[in-house]
Amino acid sequence: MNIVNRFFLYLVLLPSKLYQKMGINTVQLASILSIKLMMDDRRPNTMHQANKRKQTKPISGATIGTMLVSALMGSFFLISFFVGSEMLTRFTIYFSFFIFVLSSTLIADFTSVLIDIRDNIIILPKPVTDKTFVVARLLHILIHISKLVVPMTLPAFILLGIRNGLLALPPFLLMVIAATLFTIFLINALYLIILKITTPEKFKVIISYFQIFFAILFYGGYQIVPRLIGKAVLDNYTINTASYAFFIPSYWFAGGWEFLHSFQFSVPLITCFLLSIFVPLASIYIVIKYFAPSFNQKLSMISGSEGESMPVIVSGIKQPRPKNSFINTIANLLTDAGAEKMAFLHTWKMTGRSRDFKLKVYPSLGYILVYFVMIFLRDKRPALSSIKQNSNTEKLIFISIIYFSSLILITAINQLMYSDKYKAAWIYFTTPIAKPGKIISGALKSLLVKFYLPIIVLTFFGAIIFEGPRVIPNLFLGLCNQLLIIFLIGYATIRNLPFAQAQNLSKSSFMRGLLTLLIPGTIAFLHYSIYTFMPVVIILSILSCIAAWLVMDALKNKGWEIITELKEGY
Amino acid sequence: MEPIIELKQVTKSYGAKTVLKGINLTIYPGQVIGYIGPNGAGKSTTVKILCGLISDYEGEVIVAGIDIKTDPLAVKRRIGYVPELAELYDVLTPAEFLGFMGELYGMPKALAEDRMIKMLAAFGLEANADQRMDTFSKGMRQKVLIISGLLHNPDIIILDEPLSGLDANSVIIVKELLHKLAQDGKTIFYCSHMMDVVEKVSDRIVLINEGAVIADGSFEELQQQQGNQSLEKIFAHMTSKDSLSDAADQMMRAFEN
Repeated sequence: MNIVNRFFLYLVLLPSKLYQKMGINTVQLASILSIKLMMDDRRPNTMHQANKRKQTKPISGATIGTMLVSALMGSFFLISFFVGSEMLTRFTIYFSFFIFVLSSTLIADFTSVLIDIRDNIIILPKPVTDKTFVVARLLHILIHISKLVVPMTLPAFILLGIRNGLLALPPFLLMVIAATLFTIFLINALYLIILKITTPEKFKVIISYFQIFFAILFYGGYQIVPRLIGKAVLDNYTINTASYAFFIPSYWFAGGWEFLHSFQFSVPLITCFLLSIFVPLASIYIVIKYFAPSFNQKLSMISGSEGESMPVIVSGIKQPRPKNSFINTIANLLTDAGAEKMAFLHTWKMTGRSRDFKLKVYPSLGYILVYFVMIFLRDKRPALSSIKQNSNTEKLIFISIIYFSSLILITAINQLMYSDKYKAAWIYFTTPIAKPGKIISGALKSLLVKFYLPIIVLTFFGAIIFEGPRVIPNLFLGLCNQLLIIFLIGYATIRNLPFAQAQNLSKSSFMRGLLTLLIPGTIAFLHYSIYTFMPVVIILSILSCIAAWLVMDALKNKGWEIITELKEGY
Repeated sequence: MEPIIELKQVTKSYGAKTVLKGINLTIYPGQVIGYIGPNGAGKSTTVKILCGLISDYEGEVIVAGIDIKTDPLAVKRRIGYVPELAELYDVLTPAEFLGFMGELYGMPKALAEDRMIKMLAAFGLEANADQRMDTFSKGMRQKVLIISGLLHNPDIIILDEPLSGLDANSVIIVKELLHKLAQDGKTIFYCSHMMDVVEKVSDRIVLINEGAVIADGSFEELQQQQGNQSLEKIFAHMTSKDSLSDAADQMMRAFEN
């Protein structure tokens, strides 16, 4: 156990006498907590699990990593102290950031770290009272949250101390604690609501959608809001005039700080102060009193239903088997029968149903959408007319839209090989498949249809509406180049079969990363430089189309020797 | 002799679905109970009630004279539970995990340490005591789980498919171990689908189907009631409505076109 964990453990176990009075077995409490902290330290960092695929094998010291990341996040929040006209507004923005980021982090951590359903099988059959177990869980949550909150608020503490003097700090500390309690309540309430309206099996899926949504919202908000509003407006903005201010929890905490710092006995500030203290206290009371016990029950339901729910067998009546579906028709059109079609359909279904895949790919889809919006918001005046006047800007926007969309595909391709159920890849090896290249090309085609076709349709319509038909040759070249890029990347970098690799066993390949950026970058640059030479564009489109076809064909014909990154054990 | 486990009219439902429909069982010390039944019959639910994992059941469960509802801790102290799935904290090492188990049972550290090392050695795992279990095979994890259920020397041992993943030699060790534990006066509650093992290790076989006990007695008694055949056949006869060989025939007919 590292020093951070040991310190926190020591701290939370200080009131041992009190725990004993409450009827808690402190020996068990200490041992549950220390084992939990030990496991936290060996778990991959959940905060950035989505971005981090590569892990060196035995993870230790994950705690330090998490703390560094949250310190970094905390430094971002400091922006809020440089906008607005007075402290109340700045703190409102700060606490909004704080509550938002903390809750989006905790949403992930609650399922994966803090509420481990294995506890039900491992700890509950042991002679541990419910009270001891619940307190252990709460203290574990407390430690975990402290490890996030302390580094996250540290930058603000330093800035405040320098700018407003040391007297500004104690009220801030109090408000941070209150805001944290409030966030815990939010997460608990959210979890309970989700558990109420859905089955435990779908619970994790929904939580992961929340994570995706939060990630996109955060990124989008961070990028777009300042551009929309403008620095001058932001600098003069004050929350005091807004009538809805009292409905924003972060305003309470800001007001609470203002009150404690300035001792102005004005009605709004006192109201804020009272709200900031009593709402979190009341909510944490509700959590302990009502949520924590039912939480355990609900969670045992989650684990219970996994083992016990039986498949519903509809006896007698034959279920109508699904006929040739839409996607089957597309598969028939685009792929050769056999392995390639199988891979196409398999990839289609897996990408639609695997939680892991969605969690990793969908946020990047969102980021790219945000980027599109940003391009159009860059000029604050109506963008389209100015684009038409400036052909260089037009070219740049066109090229970046076309080629940035290949990033979506590249993200999807990078994720294609990985799966939790990578062992199920035995199906590729026990079936008589002569050319695994066909599996790869089928999978790539599936990704193209799923992630690229909608974008093509959108950009084609958009471009033709805004630019007129003269843009068609360039669009066509862009499309062919995209296909070429995807098949080139597939040809050059894929060394495994779809969904056949364990997530954390991958070794980082510098060459692969470089290639996947270099190929689209180079092609985009070439396209940019010949953009206005129509004949060249048309000739290159045809050449690119042929090249894409050839590369795809070469990929299809690749044999087993390319599958070099298989884990041992097959 | 005082019964060690008594279930009286135990009923449990999940929503509208009744999983246990009034189970009555009286078990005496030193018995090896083979608890069998088809999937979904209510085996796991019974086990979870005995371990104190489920408390919202109806009826009475008395373990060693203590009602599990009034003093679950006293009951839990006397039970060792080996869960079905290889559920353990696999980022830990066996030494850490078992040490943790020992602490939860309130065992003195030195005793737990000593016993754990001896038990790991008996299973041939002493060299792996300080390796993280995420690299372990299924059989190795199962051995650690079995040790975790026995470490505190419980009077009652509940095992849910304890042989899954074990190699043939380890199976022999575990079977022999069960025998010796029973001779030592411990009560063993053995849930399994492997009929041949249940037939050999159990003194008494309890067969449940759709939440009710449909047969209860030693293997010989069951043979007397159901005809002189293997437990597998008796099981099939009592729990399946359709003829099972028909299913195999159907399977073969699928090749015909």
